[in-house]
Amino acid sequence: MSSSYNNSEESSSDRNVEIWKIKKLIKSLEMARGNGTSMISLIIPPKDQISRVSKMLADEFGTASNIKSRVNRLSVLGAITSVQHRLKLYTKVPPNGLVIYCGTIVTDEGKEKKVNIDFEPFKPINTSLYLCDNKFHTEALTALLADDNKFGFIVMDGNGALFGTLQGNTREVLHKFTVDLPKKHGRGGQSALRFARLRMEKRHNYVRKVAEVATTLFITNDKPNIAGIILAGSADFKTELSQSDMFDPRLQAKIIKLVDVSYGGENGFNQAIELAAESLQNVKFIQEKKLIGRYFDEISQDTGKYCFGVEDTLRALELGSVETLICWENLDIQRYVLKNHATTEEKILHLTPEQEKDKTHFTDKESGVELELVECQPLLEWLANNYKSFGATLEIITDKSQEGSQFVRGFGGIGGLLRYKVDFQSMQCDEFEDDLYDIDDY
Amino acid sequence: MANNGAPDSWEQQADSGSGDHSESPDMSGKFSTLNVNAAEFVPSFLPRQAEPLPKTDSPESTDGEVPVTNGGTVADEASCRGIEVEEPPGDGAPPPPADSWEEAADGDNDPLLTPENEPEGEEDEDEEAEEVIKPKKRLVNRPEETKSKKEHVNVVFIGHVDAGKSTIGGQIMNLTGMVDKRTLEKYEREAKEKSRETWYLSWALDTNQEEREKGKTVEVGRAYFETERKHFTILDAPGHKSFVPNMIGGAAQADLAVLVISARKGEFETGFDRGGQTREHAMLAKTAGVKHLVVLVNKMDDPTVEWSEARYNECRDKIMPYLRKLGFNPQKDLTFMPCSGLTGLGLKDPLDEKLCPWYQGDAFIPFIDKLPSLNRKMGGPFVMPVVDKYKDMGMVVMGKVEAGEAKKGQSLLLMPNRTVVLVDQMWSDDEEVTAVGPGENVKIKLKGIEDDDVSPGFVLCDNANPIKTGRVFDAQVVILEHKSIICAGYSAVMHIHCAAEEVTVKALICLVDKKTGDKSKTRPRFVKQDQVAIMRVECAGVICMEQFKLFPQMGRFTLRDEGKTIAIGKVLKVIE
Repeated sequence: MSSSYNNSEESSSDRNVEIWKIKKLIKSLEMARGNGTSMISLIIPPKDQISRVSKMLADEFGTASNIKSRVNRLSVLGAITSVQHRLKLYTKVPPNGLVIYCGTIVTDEGKEKKVNIDFEPFKPINTSLYLCDNKFHTEALTALLADDNKFGFIVMDGNGALFGTLQGNTREVLHKFTVDLPKKHGRGGQSALRFARLRMEKRHNYVRKVAEVATTLFITNDKPNIAGIILAGSADFKTELSQSDMFDPRLQAKIIKLVDVSYGGENGFNQAIELAAESLQNVKFIQEKKLIGRYFDEISQDTGKYCFGVEDTLRALELGSVETLICWENLDIQRYVLKNHATTEEKILHLTPEQEKDKTHFTDKESGVELELVECQPLLEWLANNYKSFGATLEIITDKSQEGSQFVRGFGGIGGLLRYKVDFQSMQCDEFEDDLYDIDDY
Repeated sequence: MANNGAPDSWEQQADSGSGDHSESPDMSGKFSTLNVNAAEFVPSFLPRQAEPLPKTDSPESTDGEVPVTNGGTVADEASCRGIEVEEPPGDGAPPPPADSWEEAADGDNDPLLTPENEPEGEEDEDEEAEEVIKPKKRLVNRPEETKSKKEHVNVVFIGHVDAGKSTIGGQIMNLTGMVDKRTLEKYEREAKEKSRETWYLSWALDTNQEEREKGKTVEVGRAYFETERKHFTILDAPGHKSFVPNMIGGAAQADLAVLVISARKGEFETGFDRGGQTREHAMLAKTAGVKHLVVLVNKMDDPTVEWSEARYNECRDKIMPYLRKLGFNPQKDLTFMPCSGLTGLGLKDPLDEKLCPWYQGDAFIPFIDKLPSLNRKMGGPFVMPVVDKYKDMGMVVMGKVEAGEAKKGQSLLLMPNRTVVLVDQMWSDDEEVTAVGPGENVKIKLKGIEDDDVSPGFVLCDNANPIKTGRVFDAQVVILEHKSIICAGYSAVMHIHCAAEEVTVKALICLVDKKTGDKSKTRPRFVKQDQVAIMRVECAGVICMEQFKLFPQMGRFTLRDEGKTIAIGKVLKVIE
């Protein structure tokens, strides 16, 4: 899984694919557990020397041969040896540094499996690490994935406040609470002033509470943990907050924008992101929204330059008409390559987890012969490896944004923008259970 | 002021007819119940018969008015007979439902309806001075009998920001004597200090400090006034874009909407352009179930307008097609009239002929007074969505009674949490009463519930017949404005009666043909602007709702997202 693409035009979407691959790798590495302390994580920063690392490994090898437990000693020594061998493949450290994971992991079935992974990260990794542990250390990689800029959001309205962050393509709600503020009262008389005062006091307290929570959430180690902050809300609360001296001056300095949203809560958060989009141009989340927004535009204008669903998308890919392929990062469709013994015919199937349970897919309908499994991998992985050969760019998206969620739930999480109009004869039938809805009811 | 004077005597007379003051609450309760029914079944006829007696005020301009209304009637009759009159009766107020209008006109002929007029003079001043102290007392001995004598009508003022909604509302209160002069003078003085002289009238409704400072209504203001026949609750909605959610809450309680548009040069245009609130408000009001819309062309006294007929017609002609598209019938449900909120012209008294020779219809207050009775859901179980609540020696909830009646001491159910509560005290507007009926804007003090257990959007209803609650439901939805497409996974905020809740589209079930109403057999992938679809919707929490066909008020909703109204819809079936 090494990569060093210098073509600047392609780099942005390639990079996204790289990021997705690393994400996936991290997920699988994190789950892996081994025996004893035999799992080696080695990270070499750019401009380091291979020979220095080899020497270090040789020293480690010496130290490890003193381990008392025989099993542990053997596996550690084995792991170090494999790392050394891997290292021999490189004459010098690649421009972005080098990451090697090696060790014997225990699989779900209790079997042992040797893992040896080496790759160059998609951007320079500025960490030097050598660790033997019972698990792989991926923190440095996770940090690499995290976009440099994290933005804080405070959405406050008359009903409550929400604190969230936006970083890369992840949108996170840190905290939310509701308040019960007195509304405009129609009560007059002698106590009118008292009511008005009570009201003001409650509102003041609310602003204070928001300011305090903001400080606890967005300031760690006496430093703001965010690059910028966006205040959103209806009415005056946000301006009041931004000007209030209860609001931490360190955060005050980070305010990028005040935006007007008509609702609080999640909806307000979404709207705030939308409205602040200009200030957050470079954030992945915004780019993602734009991309799917463009896809939806094609659909609503009915240009025909779009496709969705596995079948149509793959056909369009084969035609070479896909310009941008859009895929949900957690797309759970598996790609099966099956082979019929009798006819030596190969068959490719794309199955959802539910369909996988149906064994009829794995037998030949005519002869009833059980098909031999040649290859099985997630469709997305296959696409990530092969999209180039179809002349497409691959965009991997999340379902965190409004658009993303619609794309995943309404269009099955896979689709593409086409270069020209393609007529798909067979519009996919839906897999929905039709009996759930009785149209005649209405 | 004078208004209070007149109805007072009338009420007393009527009272003596129906029951004694000293009657036990029970009895009067029954009586009032009876009366409610009477008012409901006899369409604004009987009360009028009772009225002639107390008529005290000068007939004044009625003479000038009668012929015109007759003219209107004739035109209308003509159209009734099928001779299509091309133009909806000219500049005059386009009449409401033909028959009732005629009745109204008839009524106009004999009993000289004008509620009361400016020439109140000194005499009134005196009375007013007295009343400053008096009103409370009178309210106290009124409750039982008064409460449902008059028909209750909730009027919401809507329109673009700075069109003058609050000012008109304040002016009406001023004209009908609901704010005393001293308070108003105080406001005027204070406003002058801030060099915001023209704002003082709106301060009667904008009670918050921040509202007064910016001159922008934020939350729905509430007040009431009475005419001889009806009791009006004013709901002053905010016009600013950011506060549309508040406005919807107000519109949900309204029977009658008053769309205020500013005739001032430039202001009308900005209000009516895309992004202006004039359109959106009108549409939301229609969705909220408002049957009749009065369009007040305000600021006619502005130097750029100067009561110009051309400008008035321009405004009307521009807005008419849009309102018609929304489903308001220009013949029946729409009325246009010019006015000036700041000076109060055209609100209570007919306009001076010298000033405005081209408009001879009714002024605003007499007009809404004369509108035919609304068809209320009298019988049936009690239903009242909670708009707001506050704590004042107990839990007080506010809202408009949608159906049925409730009495003091009755036990009710607060949905969706099924809390049993006891009615401790009730107020209809500011008067304490022992029973409330449909259409009234009430405050109810409840026993057996804590502050945290109520929130706006809850529904107070009958023990035996609680309202339906649900989280997932099927609905027919019309997409009004959305830049891209809507498919499963779409989320927005839904406003249903007084509740606002985040919802997600779970699945699209079918498309509905706009013209024929046919349902598509295939399941659509997505819907876009101007399409109608049936979809399954899931809410974030459990809310109260009812099938549209069973109870329209509880079954119609609006979907909003990013400060825009995306769609309107009705509940077809509550699933779970």
